Amino acid sequence: MGRYILSRLIQAIPLLFLISIAMFALIHALPGGPEAVLFNPRLSAAGRAALRARFGLDDPVPVQYFKWIGNAFVGNFGYSFATNEAVSSILARRFPATLELFSIALVEALIIAIAVGMISALRQYTLTDYVLTTLAYFGIAMPIFIFGLFAQDIFGIWAHWLPTSGTTTFGVTFDAFNAAWDHINHLILPTSVLAITFIATWSRYMRASMIEVKRQDYMRTARAKGASTSALIFRHALRNAVTPFITVVAIDFGTVAGGAAITESVFAWPGMGQLFIQSLDSRDYPVLLAMLLLSAVFVVAFNLIADILYGVMDPRIRYS
Amino acid sequence: MDIFDQVNTTTTQDEFEPMLELTPALVQKRRSQARIIFDRFMRNRTAVVGAAILIFMFLFCFLGPYVTGHNNPNAINVSNVSQTLAGPSLSFPLGTDDVGRDELARAMAGGQVSLLIGLTSMLVAIIVGVGIGSIAGFYGGIIDNLLMRLTDVVLAVPLYLLLFVLSASFIDHTPRSVILLIAVLVWPAASRLVRGEFLAIKEREYVLAARTIGAKDFRLMFRHILPNAAGPIIVNATILVGNNIILESVLSYFGFGIQPPFASWGNMISDGQGYFSVNPWLVFVPGLLIFLTVLSFNLVGDGLRDALDPRMTER
Repeated sequence: MGRYILSRLIQAIPLLFLISIAMFALIHALPGGPEAVLFNPRLSAAGRAALRARFGLDDPVPVQYFKWIGNAFVGNFGYSFATNEAVSSILARRFPATLELFSIALVEALIIAIAVGMISALRQYTLTDYVLTTLAYFGIAMPIFIFGLFAQDIFGIWAHWLPTSGTTTFGVTFDAFNAAWDHINHLILPTSVLAITFIATWSRYMRASMIEVKRQDYMRTARAKGASTSALIFRHALRNAVTPFITVVAIDFGTVAGGAAITESVFAWPGMGQLFIQSLDSRDYPVLLAMLLLSAVFVVAFNLIADILYGVMDPRIRYS
Repeated sequence: MDIFDQVNTTTTQDEFEPMLELTPALVQKRRSQARIIFDRFMRNRTAVVGAAILIFMFLFCFLGPYVTGHNNPNAINVSNVSQTLAGPSLSFPLGTDDVGRDELARAMAGGQVSLLIGLTSMLVAIIVGVGIGSIAGFYGGIIDNLLMRLTDVVLAVPLYLLLFVLSASFIDHTPRSVILLIAVLVWPAASRLVRGEFLAIKEREYVLAARTIGAKDFRLMFRHILPNAAGPIIVNATILVGNNIILESVLSYFGFGIQPPFASWGNMISDGQGYFSVNPWLVFVPGLLIFLTVLSFNLVGDGLRDALDPRMTER
């Protein structure tokens, strides 16, 4: 196991280098560039040259790459072109917002997806199963922002139950308790909408996995030995069905550093996805590159974690 | 010749007695492979419903404008401020949008764009995926390693980030660039699938047999292995069409997709969202059309998976 993890980690290094090169080339190939988008068009030639020099845009692109990757290697991602703030401090501010959104949505989705998948599998080919399956297809076959729009309109504008955007109510000073309550209210809609996509796909996985387990011989054996239905479901079936399912969850969670662009944009949530779109508009190379690299690291890491978890939870699997 | 004549004359209809009783199982064996798959597909009710909806959707989008007379490009693309946000009426069965364009006509015209983008981007992605995946799977070794690292690079960056960066690069927002953009994002998954199939199938005895009688690599790959890998590829392709239609709508939502005045289901939703409280149909109609189409592609894909799987017993 230790050797397997080590070899996977060693394999990940050239991959991340390859990704960094590809993304650097892609970002620098963007039409416009900071000069056209960000610089004041009335700037004098001298001022323009000074800014170019300061942003390091005068060097040939390969030289720029090596300077960037050298700094990134020691954790220095440079300064934002647009705000001059250190990229690391921008990310340190944005990432917790996305992490909060993702983690809560993940917990909601996990509970509901496991429940839905289990009920669907245990009541296979009944009306309950068909209704749940249809609902899951709703989540798969609709663009997620439509759910966002509906949710905002129904719960926010029409019923006035919940706030529709942001993380806190503007212009109101709360005491500590009410501030927390206000924040929770702001979380409900975005986390639920984000959870819908996860629930839709995960409940299908859970259902398939549970149906597979249901047919196993050890289930019949346990039943024959007199295990109660609840013990059968929760001790024998659930534990085995959840194993392949957890890896899917881990892989999906790997996209966290890229943010939930759609949900964040619908609900004006100040997370990573929103940051990426803003930075793309202003051609803020340092922020874009840091985000792309960071999110790739997360995806690669969580893919590895998924594989390791799979091995840990299922002792039949041996990595060599 | 004599004998043949004799046989023909002596065996009359009432003397003929079949050596073997034709049981239903034997009659079934006479069906061609395609027929068997078709029959199995038709027995799957949800898949048939999906296929029916798809046929209806294509007729609606491509023939509908001519049948209902909503094919006037002026009603589709040109704004008319005297009739903005009108409710449903006889001349505008689904009302009009914020600049007075006929919503039904736009739904049909936008459907043509969305369906074509979904289908063509799937085709491009599958062709590239089959090309790369079959070479990687068949030759293995260093070629496989290089090609798969290429797919890793695309797969390791979260989909939407890559989508946004690429859409900023393809600036002209024509259907062609939207198709290419979506294809660039989804080919790696397709090539992974094809590679996996090739890896498994190339070890079979019949491939070795074909090689020993002198079949060249190209023939082995595309005459012998690919047809046997076709099932999963077809299923994947079907579901991919629906996926790509959703990706198009996401692109439109962020303003990177097909640009107004031209319609697609995606940009109709993003145009209509600002008027959701005034005229929710502007979001409902394209949303429902996307939902039905994507759902049907998924149902047909699932149906094909069961129909193409020889291990599935007759139900």
